[in-house]
Amino acid sequence: MSPQFHPAVWWLWSLILAIDLARANSSLSTVISLGFMTVLVITAAPQSPWSGSFWVALKLGAWIISIRVLISVLVGVPYPGRTIFTLPQLSFPSWMAGIHLGGAVTAERLSITFHEAFVMAGVIACFGVASSLTSPHQVLRSIPVMFYEFGVAVVIATTLIPQFVAAVQRIRQAQKLRGQENKHLRNWQRIAIPLLEESLARALNLAAAMDSRGYGFSRKRSRYRKQPWRFGEYVLALICAITLLAPTWGIYLLLTAPFIVKPRSVLESAK
Amino acid sequence: MITFTNVSLIYPNSTHTVLEDLTFSVNEGELILVTGATGIGKSSLLRLINGLVPHHTGGILAGDISVNGISTQTVKPGGLAHLIGIVGQNPSMGFVTDMVEEELAFGMEALNTPPDVMRKRIEEILDLLSLTQLRKRNISTLSGGEQQRVAIGSALVMHPKVLVLDEPTSALDPIAAEEVLSILHRLVHDLSLTVIIAEHKLERVIQFADRMIHIESDGSTSIGTPQEVLAKSSLTPPIVQLSRALKMPEIALTVREMRRLTEGFRSSIEIPHPSSPAPHSFTPMIQSRSVEVRYGDARALNQVSADFYPGEIVAVMGRNGAGKSTFLKTIVGITSPKSGSVEVMKSDPVLLTGRARTSLIGFIPQEPSDLLYGQSVAQECDNADKDNEVPKGRTLSILSQLVPGISTGSHPRDLSEGQRLCLAISVILSAQPQIFILDEPTRGLDYSAKAALVSIIKQIATEQNHLVILATHDVELVGEVATRTIFFSDGEIVADGPTVDVLLSSPAFAPQVAKIMAPVPWLTVNDVLKGIASSP
Repeated sequence: MSPQFHPAVWWLWSLILAIDLARANSSLSTVISLGFMTVLVITAAPQSPWSGSFWVALKLGAWIISIRVLISVLVGVPYPGRTIFTLPQLSFPSWMAGIHLGGAVTAERLSITFHEAFVMAGVIACFGVASSLTSPHQVLRSIPVMFYEFGVAVVIATTLIPQFVAAVQRIRQAQKLRGQENKHLRNWQRIAIPLLEESLARALNLAAAMDSRGYGFSRKRSRYRKQPWRFGEYVLALICAITLLAPTWGIYLLLTAPFIVKPRSVLESAK
Repeated sequence: MITFTNVSLIYPNSTHTVLEDLTFSVNEGELILVTGATGIGKSSLLRLINGLVPHHTGGILAGDISVNGISTQTVKPGGLAHLIGIVGQNPSMGFVTDMVEEELAFGMEALNTPPDVMRKRIEEILDLLSLTQLRKRNISTLSGGEQQRVAIGSALVMHPKVLVLDEPTSALDPIAAEEVLSILHRLVHDLSLTVIIAEHKLERVIQFADRMIHIESDGSTSIGTPQEVLAKSSLTPPIVQLSRALKMPEIALTVREMRRLTEGFRSSIEIPHPSSPAPHSFTPMIQSRSVEVRYGDARALNQVSADFYPGEIVAVMGRNGAGKSTFLKTIVGITSPKSGSVEVMKSDPVLLTGRARTSLIGFIPQEPSDLLYGQSVAQECDNADKDNEVPKGRTLSILSQLVPGISTGSHPRDLSEGQRLCLAISVILSAQPQIFILDEPTRGLDYSAKAALVSIIKQIATEQNHLVILATHDVELVGEVATRTIFFSDGEIVADGPTVDVLLSSPAFAPQVAKIMAPVPWLTVNDVLKGIASSP
């Protein structure tokens, strides 16, 4: 059965895993963690627009690794070891000593940069897991009422972005229908003006709707269906805290914890 | 419950008042219908009730409005949230959250309602509006009718005493509209809720209304029972037209009443023999062959084949989400089919560009304002003349035929929804396309603008022998203009034939006149008059 926890617990778990990974600084732990996280996302991610975040995070990690390695080949501190190939070196004046462009590329230098970038990609993947497993709206529902206004703003923004993208497509189509191709730069206003107007109209409409539904009228506000933490979630949080003491070995405990700790029952998690 | 005392309203930078010296009062448990020409100030009147106008829009308000004893001048709209529920013209623009249940809770959370009360009320509303199946759904995935129900639900959940709705059925298919209206009817009778509705399609709501407020084009208003107001006003839903055409002494408002009153008349007419349509002698302008379109996993169109001939006026009907819009977009060439083929005048519509496109296909999308980018009506018309390489002033002349007396200096966004649609239609028609396609052309249109649209469509089809295709929920319009009707369901064509046959085969989609005259196959008042004239 796929593990289901309170969204805040998932974020705590991912955050601590990221800290542990960075502290352990081991390629092996990172590889194992990535494997576990992939299994977790495949089995537990709900059907939502956010469930793809993990894969996006993995792609981002791959980019970071390749850019980091590329830069270390071009610019870098000379590192002793077995030379793989040598690039033509640019010589700088003496006052810029210490900066090198090109030069000998050693296997050690490559492997160290790759290792660093790989751990960084692992840390990024942790945040991908958290956002894949929880909906941002769910998370915002469980933050304290103090931050409510901020939460509403984020919810509106995340709802508006897909609508905005759809509006751009619609307006481009409409301009095509008027026989206007979008190749000319001077035609930008044919897209921008309707888009701006629609966004404004939408914002005004939303403000009016929120206003007439009493938003911001009462200083106190209540919360519909608060999600209290369950026993299993306290256990998981405790495990997370313990692993901070010994990151290298703690990672393995942390990774298996979501599979061991008794999750919410299906009925509860559906609520 | 609601009292207006000498209310006048003027918006900033405007030269004329929207409402002038309006005085009326509404009792508890009344259902009031607000009517008037497009852009006349119906929405303003509705938004005055909870103070959105002028608190939110600016403008100067004279006179006093009080709701349940509270004057709206002293309280902001939020302070009336527990008293007045308001449902806007386009509910999807008013949703704050993304899930049905949370949307229902939003207003109550804002008013600090205790969680257990919230829970109870939400369960009640979910049951009352049959939303239980949808409680966990993402709002953006709901159909138009479902969204409308969620919007009504999130207003009702506050237990308001007054519910205000701005054109609640304009985007809905006849069945969904019926559903929404019957819910309102029930609320009025069961809970003694006071309901104020603005609506153009009188034939849908008139039978539920206790009284109506009609705003004339000069800003004056008449208030009274539907019979009183309709008898002296220029408003003519088909049922009233029929009463007048048959020179009946009183005006009936429901199909039932009308059938009783016309019993003698109906028994005297013979059922005319249906004349078989003449076979098409032309080659088709549009040919679609087993077209299939998918959005992700969902199949929007499945094996759709249809031919369209010059001179035809084809209505595309079906419930919300049946695939009408997708079909039109595929014909126009902004959606490309996954399999199958579409040919417009023997070429692929996706590849059409520039002037070749505008002179061949004119398309009015569901959001007509997407087509507009000018800063004023006059500038928009000039742009269209230039783009379409036609003599200056043609677009404006088409526009003034549709909506006489539109102010050319105003910004397209400041026009009413109906006026904006007419502007978009003029822009497209100035290019004189051989094929004219409209998606939902009657949203927000009053009877006179609709009549103008009908005459333009007929002129294009009969005089210029061009093809017109329109997707619409307006059965009266279909009965009036369409020569052929295609009925979609779940992405497939389920009926395709002469309008009379298709409309009369389904009671929900039959126009009012047809329901009254059944079994005689007459769809409109004109049909009836022609029928009487030809029979001895």
